[in-house]
Amino acid sequence: MKHIHNEHESESEAPVTYAEVNDTVLKMLEPPGTGWFLLLFTCIFFLVIGASSWFYQMWSGYGESGNSIPIGWGTYITNFVFWVGIAHSGTLISAVLYLFRAAFRQPIYRLAEAMTVFAVMTAGLFPVIHVGRPWYALWLIPYPNERALWPNFRSPLLWDVFAVSTYFTISATFFFVGLIPDIAAARDRATTKFRKALYGVTCLGWRGSHTQWKHYQAAYLIFAALATPLVVSVHSVVSWDFAMSIVPGWHATIFPPYFVAGAIFSGVAMVITLAIPLRKAFNLHRLITPVHFDAMSKLILLTSGVVSYSYITEFYTAWFSNNPFERFQFWFRPFGEYWLPFWGMTFCNCIAPQLLWIKSLRTNIAFLFVLSIIINIGMWLERFNIIFQSLTREFIPAAWGGYNFSWVEVGITVGAFGWFGMWMTLFIKFFPSVAITEIKEILPPPMRRAKHDHGQVSAVNSH
Amino acid sequence: MVESSSRAVVGIFTYLDDALEAVKKVKESNLDYRMYSPVPRHEIEEVTYPEKSPVRTVSLIAAMTGCMCGFTLAIMCSLDWPMRTSAKNIASIPAFFVPGYEWTILFGGLGTLLAILIFCRIPTVVRAAGYDPRFSHDKFGVVVACMGSQVDAVKQQLSDSGADEVDIQDSL
Repeated sequence: MKHIHNEHESESEAPVTYAEVNDTVLKMLEPPGTGWFLLLFTCIFFLVIGASSWFYQMWSGYGESGNSIPIGWGTYITNFVFWVGIAHSGTLISAVLYLFRAAFRQPIYRLAEAMTVFAVMTAGLFPVIHVGRPWYALWLIPYPNERALWPNFRSPLLWDVFAVSTYFTISATFFFVGLIPDIAAARDRATTKFRKALYGVTCLGWRGSHTQWKHYQAAYLIFAALATPLVVSVHSVVSWDFAMSIVPGWHATIFPPYFVAGAIFSGVAMVITLAIPLRKAFNLHRLITPVHFDAMSKLILLTSGVVSYSYITEFYTAWFSNNPFERFQFWFRPFGEYWLPFWGMTFCNCIAPQLLWIKSLRTNIAFLFVLSIIINIGMWLERFNIIFQSLTREFIPAAWGGYNFSWVEVGITVGAFGWFGMWMTLFIKFFPSVAITEIKEILPPPMRRAKHDHGQVSAVNSH
Repeated sequence: MVESSSRAVVGIFTYLDDALEAVKKVKESNLDYRMYSPVPRHEIEEVTYPEKSPVRTVSLIAAMTGCMCGFTLAIMCSLDWPMRTSAKNIASIPAFFVPGYEWTILFGGLGTLLAILIFCRIPTVVRAAGYDPRFSHDKFGVVVACMGSQVDAVKQQLSDSGADEVDIQDSL
């Protein structure tokens, strides 16, 4: 890995040691300061706005949302797809890059996994909110009932139930299993009764004996192998919610790879959005280095290319199909009444990321932070374009219509960010949000005589 | 095993190669031991546990069970509440690949979790013999179970291998 200078060059001359990794990461768990409480209460405040809006919608009726004929899927489904997409890159970074032995993943993968789990928890709220009467949401689940009534297994909506619930379960399990040795390290250093009890229970009595590590490593590899197809399958299934219909703009075979690439694109951007403040707040400059931001920037550049290519393919397919409805839909998006979301999406997802071809910008932390936010705005707009624009102009002009955002939807959308932020904020203070064990794995072990023969370049020590 | 012996000799090492040399000597003496480390290393596996872990067998069986259950659920539910769509079969196997696929992964993952719990013997509340909090920090540990008469010899072995500290504890 190439040598990259950073702003902490003088600090980084000495190699990182096992002890330093423990000290740096576990220092993050020390009692929180005012800033942390401020962040937590801000998130809770947003969450309260969201919860109040939802309760108001339930109390007053579904008409309080902007969803109406012909646009039955609006902001809530856009939010659902957005958050599932955010969740995606966590598993990519934790599982797929693990299988490829990409050393740059180690310092960021825990954060990405936490993001995955909390983003799926957020995404899972939206179908429930969208159905209007959440107390009937359990009808989605195939459970024995007195009417012998079962859900339709040929419907992509039911596939979604299977895909998202499996994704959540496996991501959460993978996340927890990865945490066990690190929680044990936190247990061994805990000083307060509460922390001792918390870590003592959640590490399940882990000691790190040679037999434990042997089975743990085998299991972790299998988890990675199981989670990898999930990365592909979940967003493919989500895309089929649209692609299996006949709505112009939705009925496209390119949707699964297009959605998967888009999800990785937005997810990596969100990891950058979260990692930069975390790195600054907890002084993780020696663990999360410009090498990692450079690698993530390249991933963004790649997926931006795939997403841009998919956009062009959609337009080409619509033209080549000679189908007037498809052709109209793809003319309407850039030049119709709602051109702004389309061009906003194009700028954020296709044009702005091209700046990452410049090497100095790939390691410019302030630039990356701004760009990652721009990308996520763009990806929200992308989902909005697909869902909203297609429904607003279907086949019959008499059935065309517009969409009126309601304050309830805005409140719930804000609340989702509060919900996600609250879990992330709590997590970084109570559990190691940088993987202690995995960073140690890429460091050369302390040897008195022989030099270790692992042959792996340490991403942490490479700068 | 360590727990059944009367004494536990605990060697604390800074260097991995020293700890591994101690393990090799202990193995030659045919004594029970346990090695602790803050990180999994292939060097440790090669010396202590070169065999393959049985975890993957459990995962495979669980995944195959999940696949079967996913397809069975979809087929049985469809037959119980038949909804004919154009000329398609009630049991539309291609459409049921999604639940079958997802449950393969779901059961495989949960089976792997179960395998970790069983083979790593967690959760446990039993105190591990000779465990030291430094083993999760930056030290390596070799805990040898032996009878009282062997303690001095084992202690010497660990010291000669380069242990920073050697402690003697009651075995659990």
